[in-house]
Amino acid sequence: MNKKKILVVDDSRTALFMVTTLLRKERYDLVTACDGEQALEMAAAERPDLILMDVIMPRKTGFEACRELKRREDTRAIPVILVTTRGEGENVEEGFASGCNDYVTKPINAQELLTKVRDHIGGRER
Amino acid sequence: MSAMKNTNNEHGAYVRKVQEDTQNFTQAMLGEIERLRVVVATLEAEKQAAADQAREMAEAVKANESLREQATSLGVEVSRLRSQVGSLRTEAERHQRLEDALQTQIEGIQAETRRYSSRYAEIEQQNSNLANLYVASYRLHGTLDRTEVVAAIQEILANLIGSEEAALFELDPATQTLELAASFGADPAECPRVPVGTGVIGQAASTGEIFVADPGHPPAAEGIESRLTACVPLRLESRVTGVIAIFGLLPQKGAIEDLDRELFDLLATQAAFALYCTGLHAKVAAEVARRW
Repeated sequence: MNKKKILVVDDSRTALFMVTTLLRKERYDLVTACDGEQALEMAAAERPDLILMDVIMPRKTGFEACRELKRREDTRAIPVILVTTRGEGENVEEGFASGCNDYVTKPINAQELLTKVRDHIGGRER
Repeated sequence: MSAMKNTNNEHGAYVRKVQEDTQNFTQAMLGEIERLRVVVATLEAEKQAAADQAREMAEAVKANESLREQATSLGVEVSRLRSQVGSLRTEAERHQRLEDALQTQIEGIQAETRRYSSRYAEIEQQNSNLANLYVASYRLHGTLDRTEVVAAIQEILANLIGSEEAALFELDPATQTLELAASFGADPAECPRVPVGTGVIGQAASTGEIFVADPGHPPAAEGIESRLTACVPLRLESRVTGVIAIFGLLPQKGAIEDLDRELFDLLATQAAFALYCTGLHAKVAAEVARRW
């Protein structure tokens, strides 16, 4: 059985390393990107089951990348969880307006993140 | 003639009287016969009624006999059912005892499950805490480039602790002053040089103790120090080489938690060591470049 694949996008190597450490423990197949532009390329090439993406990034922000992903026919169905630094109303609204399916705030709570990931793509394997 | 006539008259009167008496007698007899007929009819009716009554009595006796048989049969059935009820009651009591025992077992298992769930959650939390500490340590020691180490400190503060407003001070041993080495989200102009022992930051450098402000009670200090959330002195063995000052947490981060204190402990030693290594590496690299 194939593992479920998650694309993790963050320009912070610490955040990227932390999230991949948490998700690898759960035996997901992981691919990474370090900005919004690269995220679009990786999403098209890798066809992940879920995208976990930071908002504030160089080249293309998480909001912009999310809008683009939802515009494209081939990536529209991939659920996107945005990782925001600010959890206030307007940021969350902007996130959902960009088409994201869910969001988590920094600093990331491991249990919250894993619960949301499982909510969107179920267990570890497909 | 006259006598004969008289005789005839007397005879006629006698005959008439006899006839009259006979008629009266006949009438009386007819009346008696009628009365007797009525009596006979009454008796006949009474006889019929008695016969009917006797038949009904016989039927009633028969029905009574049947009911008695039924009652006897029911009595036997009742005894049998009573015996069954007794058996069922015993069985029910046995089942009840069994159910009570099972209920006790279930409650025990549920308590055990709750205990395991709670323990599992604790272990999961410990795992994620360890993962955070591992990530922080890995990032601090993953490079010998000073800029990278400073960036790692900033990312640890932002991503693992939840602060986007902090400053890194390094000690100038000659002047015993803390100099601003980098600021993250804090205005550098607000972060002047701090003599060791002066203010909250200087005190942290002087004592080597981590300072964490009480939630809702900012430290009694001036300037940017009044916004201090925590001060982490960087310790290299017994020496303090600098201080990380944290001026606030992200809105969704309520307060400093146990894991943050562990990260502060880690930063205190590992960040100091990582920064020291970058300096050492730069010196060695410069020396190597000079010689070769």
